[in-house]
Amino acid sequence: MKKGVAITGMGIVSAIGNSVEENLEALLTSKSGLGISKHIQTHHKNTIKVGEVGFTNAEIAKKLNLPKDNNYTRTALLGCLAAKEAILNAGIKSISEYKTGLISATTVGGMDMTENYWKQFASNPEVQKYIWSHHAGDSTEKIATSLGVTDYVTTISTACSSAANAIMLGTRLIKAGKLDRVVVGGTDALSKFTINGFKSLMILSESNCTPFDANRSGLNLGEAAAYLVLESDEGVALQNKSVLAYVSGYGNANDAFHQTASSKTGDGAYLAMKKALKIAGLQPSDVDYVNAHGTATQNNDLSESVALQRIFNEKSPSFSSTKAFTGHTLAAAGAVEAVFSVLALQENSIFANLGFKMTMPETGLVPVTQLQKKELKHVLSNSFGFGGNCSSLIFSEA
Amino acid sequence: MNIKLNIQAWCSVQNGTVICNGKKIVSTDNEQGFSEFAKQVYKNQQWEYPKFFKMDRLSKLTFLTAEILLKELTISSEEKEQLAVVLSNKSASLDTDRKYQDSINSIENFYPSPAVFVYTLPNIGMGEVCIRHKIQGENAFFVFDDFNPLFLKQYAESLAQNNKAPQVLCGWTEIDEKGYNSFLYLASPNGTLPHTEETIKKLYTQS
Repeated sequence: MKKGVAITGMGIVSAIGNSVEENLEALLTSKSGLGISKHIQTHHKNTIKVGEVGFTNAEIAKKLNLPKDNNYTRTALLGCLAAKEAILNAGIKSISEYKTGLISATTVGGMDMTENYWKQFASNPEVQKYIWSHHAGDSTEKIATSLGVTDYVTTISTACSSAANAIMLGTRLIKAGKLDRVVVGGTDALSKFTINGFKSLMILSESNCTPFDANRSGLNLGEAAAYLVLESDEGVALQNKSVLAYVSGYGNANDAFHQTASSKTGDGAYLAMKKALKIAGLQPSDVDYVNAHGTATQNNDLSESVALQRIFNEKSPSFSSTKAFTGHTLAAAGAVEAVFSVLALQENSIFANLGFKMTMPETGLVPVTQLQKKELKHVLSNSFGFGGNCSSLIFSEA
Repeated sequence: MNIKLNIQAWCSVQNGTVICNGKKIVSTDNEQGFSEFAKQVYKNQQWEYPKFFKMDRLSKLTFLTAEILLKELTISSEEKEQLAVVLSNKSASLDTDRKYQDSINSIENFYPSPAVFVYTLPNIGMGEVCIRHKIQGENAFFVFDDFNPLFLKQYAESLAQNNKAPQVLCGWTEIDEKGYNSFLYLASPNGTLPHTEETIKKLYTQS
């Protein structure tokens, strides 16, 4: 078995907390962060539950010491907050000391500001600054600037598997010796654009989502940002750093089925998990816990369950979806759940799959419904995106 | 490991004509537009895949070229599962992007249809081919000023040599207001034509 690439720092801001510590506290006490939106003026406000970060934009801007005339979108604000925590957590004092990269995922980019101001873009010079922060790369550039990263900066947007793919790319760059360390993760703010989009697909739940339940009624959207610091073995040894966990496996595969739906047989998910196990040099039976994608849509949970049964030969390890804590945070989800997977390894804990009541008749799979203490060595985390972009990551204990 | 790739088969489509491995498969009146031509090929080939008619023009072009090429080959479903796809063009999906933007700009017929929106990316046609044939290897779509045989050659070789895929479906699939042309080939250890920049270029230009 190969050890993988070291994780030396983590940062997160989500509906269940504004730091790793706060997130862990909510996970250990099974406290969901879902509720009615406070920050978004949408017609659907009272009919949907969302996973919203508590801070207002002004509060975050103040924390980041931004000038009044800044053009930060909420996506960039959340991203900077979480990435700074990750750097601090990794004990990095000088970014330029080692060759450092940033790979950040987002799907919504600056849409939160654009949808507020686009009608004024032509006439109001004061809001025109947000035209420049609309594109998906803007949040990445702002995070890179705030951290001082210049060696390698890139953005990944592959729907809901974006952050998992950012982690995968970062891991590969470290393995290939292209970088000494890399900050990887994702950020997505809530916006009317995503709320209305998912609403039109009729997959938004009106109540708290219930992943893997027979009567699941769709997903809750969430906003979050989460980042991990990955470092080369040489860097870890030279600095005598403590390692939180390792990224030991990764796989990405194409479901080749439909533009928005997953195949009933979970082909992409199956292949992604298979590839991740192969890279990690692990057998399916070595996996102690699966942090599932589990969005609580009819389609995903069935497809993912079938894929789990295929890869684990009907003997599925303990699994749960943490989407009922945070909502589905889209491009950030892979990084949010990477942080949760590392916390699971550190705490030897499996977090609860909140809201589950009844087993799906098609598969009979039962997730872990209450916090469970168990010795964990390897955790597999799934993230599947529209377009059949399926990714799996494996995290192993330090 | 040094794996030598050959061009096992190729297919080109332009000016109302489909040529596969040097053989004329379909030849129609060049005056008709692409959509009419595509419909004629569909009927001629007796495909039963109604989803074809939902596709945008770039996807139809990509799909029909791949469909004819893959039919000429004996390639198992296991091989298809591992097949990589590397396509390219000049105009990305601008043909459909414009159509979609027109539907947003139109005051009388304002309706940005999701059915059009989903095709506003150049790699969707590639996805349609993958869906049809259950192709699950690596795939990528590149945008260049011109047909770039050296890039295709090097990318396919890199995929083969790094054990990412034993075979690669490569090519160019381009459509805009001025016209259309596509050229796909299968890079594989099988076949006899050498997978060189010169040969790729020659097949592309002569077809």
